[in-house]
Amino acid sequence: MSARYKSISWNRSKVVYDTVLAFAILAFILGYLKLAPSLPGFASAVELPIQRIRAFGSCAFLMLSVLLCIGPAARLDRRFLPLLYNRRHFGVMTCVVAAAHASFVLDWYFAFSRLDPYVGLLVANTSYSQWLGFPFEIFGIAAFAILLVLAVTSHDFWLKFFTPPVWKALHMSVYAAYALVVVHVAFGALQDPKMSVLAMSFFLVPPAIVVVLHIVAASHHSPSSETVKASAVTSESWLPVGSVHDIRDGRAKVVVLDDDSEVAIFRHSGKFSAVTNACAHQNGPLGEGRIVDGCVTCPWHGFQYRPDDGCAPPPFTEKIATYRLKREGELLFLDPRANPPGTYVKPVEL
Amino acid sequence: MRNSDDNDGFFVGYINSLPGSAQWFVPLTAVLMVLGFASFGILAAVVQSDPGSGQFLWDAGEVNVSGVLEEHPYPLIHAEPSARFPQGRTLMLSGDGKRGVQKRVASLSGQRVDVSGFLLKRGTIDMLQVTATPKPNSTVMPQQTVNAPLPRSLGRWRLTGELCDGKCYAGAMRPGQGLAHKACANLCLIGGVPPVFVSTAPVEGHQFMMVADQNGMALSAEWLHRVAVLIEVEGAIEERGDLLIFKMDAASLKDL
Ligand code: FES
Repeated sequence: MSARYKSISWNRSKVVYDTVLAFAILAFILGYLKLAPSLPGFASAVELPIQRIRAFGSCAFLMLSVLLCIGPAARLDRRFLPLLYNRRHFGVMTCVVAAAHASFVLDWYFAFSRLDPYVGLLVANTSYSQWLGFPFEIFGIAAFAILLVLAVTSHDFWLKFFTPPVWKALHMSVYAAYALVVVHVAFGALQDPKMSVLAMSFFLVPPAIVVVLHIVAASHHSPSSETVKASAVTSESWLPVGSVHDIRDGRAKVVVLDDDSEVAIFRHSGKFSAVTNACAHQNGPLGEGRIVDGCVTCPWHGFQYRPDDGCAPPPFTEKIATYRLKREGELLFLDPRANPPGTYVKPVEL
Repeated sequence: MRNSDDNDGFFVGYINSLPGSAQWFVPLTAVLMVLGFASFGILAAVVQSDPGSGQFLWDAGEVNVSGVLEEHPYPLIHAEPSARFPQGRTLMLSGDGKRGVQKRVASLSGQRVDVSGFLLKRGTIDMLQVTATPKPNSTVMPQQTVNAPLPRSLGRWRLTGELCDGKCYAGAMRPGQGLAHKACANLCLIGGVPPVFVSTAPVEGHQFMMVADQNGMALSAEWLHRVAVLIEVEGAIEERGDLLIFKMDAASLKDL
């Protein structure tokens, strides 16, 4: 589906998603700058411009942490999938909040001097050869540069332009950005000797959660698909991939081939078809999707493909690779050589 | 999108209805997310450490002081007793923003001058942000020397503490110390704002002192690498008026 990408096509869930996100950001900033200072016992005399810097910086940090939790959370519990959809909007908003943080920094720490703020940013601190006092701003700049590239290339036009695998690889650099942010915080805010344990945990707990969730999700078997690691075979042979009874109707089983490519074997109305596990949109895991209206439907953004030829139903034009299947008794066998995308393969009947 | 066996929440974004099991889950997540962000915002604000009490004394308005000006290591003035400073006071001088006043006072060292500006105060540290170029004052008051007070040596000290820019530390920025503020402090020092040493242990009641190199002159750019980190350094301390000057010995410097 989706041969159109002229503009962002808005629909209700995108609007709801973005509204919730905007409210969350607003809640954080208001909580930090307005609510907290009005609490009894709030003694901090930190200057407003510095509070602003901290509020937007912390907010961007929290957003990036949450953003990175969405993927593994959706893998562990499919009810989080609605958050995955439109995750790009989350990323773009994170970039905007980070930009606000950066501009407040430039307007305060690097303002009021004879040097241009951008020049000051690069020359004021050149202690690159020491741990303490290292110009930690540089990590923030690098992280922001990555977020900016990702935000700019988040549109489907770039997805098409780069091809999904390249785009996906590019967007994996969000992890690099997060690592840089963590280092930025570690060498900056975390170096405050007066920092309380609670304040420290604000910066240490989210990255820990991100890491743990990723580890747990990586070892988790999705309930709707089953993964089989195919043993070494020559390209000539048919791989046994299990019994026909292993696969529920409308669902798939994922087979990982020796070259690490993945095949999703779907059962649809009593027939079996094999297609690549990688969605042509953003490499979403098709094998974790369903058959909806007779089409393999990606769990990430709902692109659809016919199971027998891997083509998106008209008017859409996406195609994915198909594989040959055969049945001997109860057992299914897969030919591990991929067909060119869009090749028709007669489904195996039960 | 509802399949007959669709009971574990399969969601496809372009289809605008949520599967049965997610009907309450997603709004709940949304509400939790907004509340969670609000609480995190409040939490992150509440746990900030106290930046200290330094501040501009804007309420005092523009003040005028007269006294003998010294140029080295950094511009300072020995303000004569006045209504504001009944005992007299030694004030560090800085310009607007992250600028020093070296150029403006270069020809006035050792002379009695009139200066006006805004006061910054933190503990025993006082700074005057000079608004107009200091002018020589030739009216010699009776029984008053026009010499700067003689420096009094307090001996050699080994101190632990942090180099900061005197202006932000005195209250132009709160907090005006720490690593997050290092680049900013460096910019101040590059601009000519007097640096101070914030000692972990007070010297004759002073926690802060103006710094100089071992010859009593302004610090070289090398020292910028030591700003905002905890250091241990040895040097002679002398009292000029009521301001201490710590002449740091670069060879004795140790990072902690
Ligand atoms: S990855 Fe987006 S629809 Fe499949």
